[in-house]
Amino acid sequence: MAGFSREVARRIFIEELKSSNYSFRDGEDQHQYAPQYLLTPTGAKCNRVFVVGTLTEKDDIGSDAEYWRGRIVDPTGSILIYAGQYQPEAAQILANIEAPAFVAVVGKPNLYQTEDGNIIISVRAESIQRVDEATRDQWIMDAARRTLERLKALWSAGPVSVSSDFSTADKTPASLPVQDGQRALEHYHTDVEHYRQMVIRALSSLRGDLSEDRSKPKAETATKPEAKVEPPLEAEKPGPRRSKPKKSSPLNAWPEQENEEEVETFNLGKKS
Amino acid sequence: MKELVDQISARLRDQKIEVPEEEIASRLKKLIEDFRVPEGEARRSVLNYFLKEHGVTFPARASSEKVKISEIAGPGRWVDLEVKVLDLWEPATEAISQTGLIGDGSGSMKFVKWTKSELPDLELGKSYRLKRVVTDEFQGRFSVKLNRTSQIEPLEKEVEAQLKRVQSMKVVEINEPGLWVDLKVKVTQLWEANSEAISQSGLIGDETGSIKFVKWAKADLPDLEEGKSYHLLNLVTDEFQGRFSVKLNRTSKIELLDVDVEVGSQAAEFAGALVDVQKGSGLIKRCPVCKRSLAKGVCSEHGKVEGTYDLRIKAVMDDGRRVQDVLINRETTERLVGLTLDEAKQMAMEALDHEVVRSLIEGKLVGRYFSVTGPRVDRYLLVETINEAQPVTIADVDELIAAMEVN
Repeated sequence: MAGFSREVARRIFIEELKSSNYSFRDGEDQHQYAPQYLLTPTGAKCNRVFVVGTLTEKDDIGSDAEYWRGRIVDPTGSILIYAGQYQPEAAQILANIEAPAFVAVVGKPNLYQTEDGNIIISVRAESIQRVDEATRDQWIMDAARRTLERLKALWSAGPVSVSSDFSTADKTPASLPVQDGQRALEHYHTDVEHYRQMVIRALSSLRGDLSEDRSKPKAETATKPEAKVEPPLEAEKPGPRRSKPKKSSPLNAWPEQENEEEVETFNLGKKS
Repeated sequence: MKELVDQISARLRDQKIEVPEEEIASRLKKLIEDFRVPEGEARRSVLNYFLKEHGVTFPARASSEKVKISEIAGPGRWVDLEVKVLDLWEPATEAISQTGLIGDGSGSMKFVKWTKSELPDLELGKSYRLKRVVTDEFQGRFSVKLNRTSQIEPLEKEVEAQLKRVQSMKVVEINEPGLWVDLKVKVTQLWEANSEAISQSGLIGDETGSIKFVKWAKADLPDLEEGKSYHLLNLVTDEFQGRFSVKLNRTSKIELLDVDVEVGSQAAEFAGALVDVQKGSGLIKRCPVCKRSLAKGVCSEHGKVEGTYDLRIKAVMDDGRRVQDVLINRETTERLVGLTLDEAKQMAMEALDHEVVRSLIEGKLVGRYFSVTGPRVDRYLLVETINEAQPVTIADVDELIAAMEVN
């Protein structure tokens, strides 16, 4: 009856995904076949992710065999995806897509630590498909809803409460997100407000795109300054993305963030 | 040489057999030096020779013990059973000469007799002593296998055994093959029966769920009509890879019901992203007898058959919280993908590859948001309606932003 069950593909905004640095294997015996998970700052325990965004660049970085790397951008940031000989279908599709394009990526988050201790998160693509803008819009809503759920779990978990009784028994679903949230709080000391702002920024930017489409020029007044956050096409300079507007919290919650950007600029250096 | 001799005498001593070392050495020497037999082979050959010499039949490593069916609780045990043959099924492959259900006073169990065993056939309703059969397990259910070392002895006295008889079950309660059940159900789908052995097959359901049914032509029963509700009596449950079905045979009865049976799981729905189109999607071939999809032209139940083409999608949907396997039939696939079965065949023919159809389907569906409805059967949702998600509106976004603000 039980047996194998497929891992859910989590919805995580790229900024949050890249702020993750906590990965572990599940199960009592931590053997090499136990599934690997990445725990994100808001407590998404993910073995698989689903991201829809804009493919802004792609390169074949393989030496012998083809090994494709692409950069995917959502309203909150950008992340690298990889597809090589072990993901032949994904690699082939990536090879044939002309950037920029909207793409949907299902893949496994991958944590890599550089020699100087920086952590880089990328996604090993299981599948890549070209999609339309409507699908990207759906995804932003989807990711916002799921992130909101996780944030709520964090709020209810509270910043400290180490009491391990079942006090938060609000219809606990399958994978006990409360527990994951608790664990995320302990590891990241997550600034919930920061991620709430991130989601609002993403939604505002989506709102901006939508009202532009309808060519209703009045809607702009409503958009907050954050809405300026990169129109996801082309613009993906690492610079202004995050340090911009009222960031209610200091950055101390993710110290590796800054360094990580640096590491990334390396990678970016190659692009035209 | 000395080493080999030591190994052999050690193994023989395990079996409490003492053989002078010179004898072992001389046989070994003969094989290796005179007949150029490789050492490993020679060792095995000599060992077997002496084992046989002393009456140890080699493959019977484990001694078997006499047990009741209900006592079988683990795989890999050698056992003796006294049973009656309760049912015989058509073997799925040529490797199996007979399969079916055997029972004793304590219960019943599936058995498999391998073709290689070269054992005589069992007869339905007869009682036998089965010696040195091996227990096996698949997904928590046990069976016994009859292999080359097994023996079959007909019994004079009949073993008391019956198929379990259960009255009036609900569909969801069916979790064991070989049960006799009565069901009150509605016929929700009738499938084309491509075999002369089957007069009808399809899906029936009650308020607890749906299940596949097969009505044998031999049963000589009136036809069921889609949408009508029936009291079906004396059906036999069957299982294939963890999925259950019921069979209507000669002893079954069909009574039309006045009341309409609600089919419970009909209402299942799921909304999310379609994240995978699985192998076995696209242009496939089905067994003309049982409609199962073929793997390399072979039906798991009926062996090598001339398949008929079909178009279908096995996909995985995912809403970020859980996954749902969905099955999309030909009609819906044609509409959804904008490709008819004939066009798909044409495509595959031109590409000399069936997989192009799956790739096309992937390109059109993967990564997109859909909502589906249909009955849930087993782990699948059988898609009756599928719609792409409505485009996001500004109002949707505003609503969500508002939800973010209240806290």
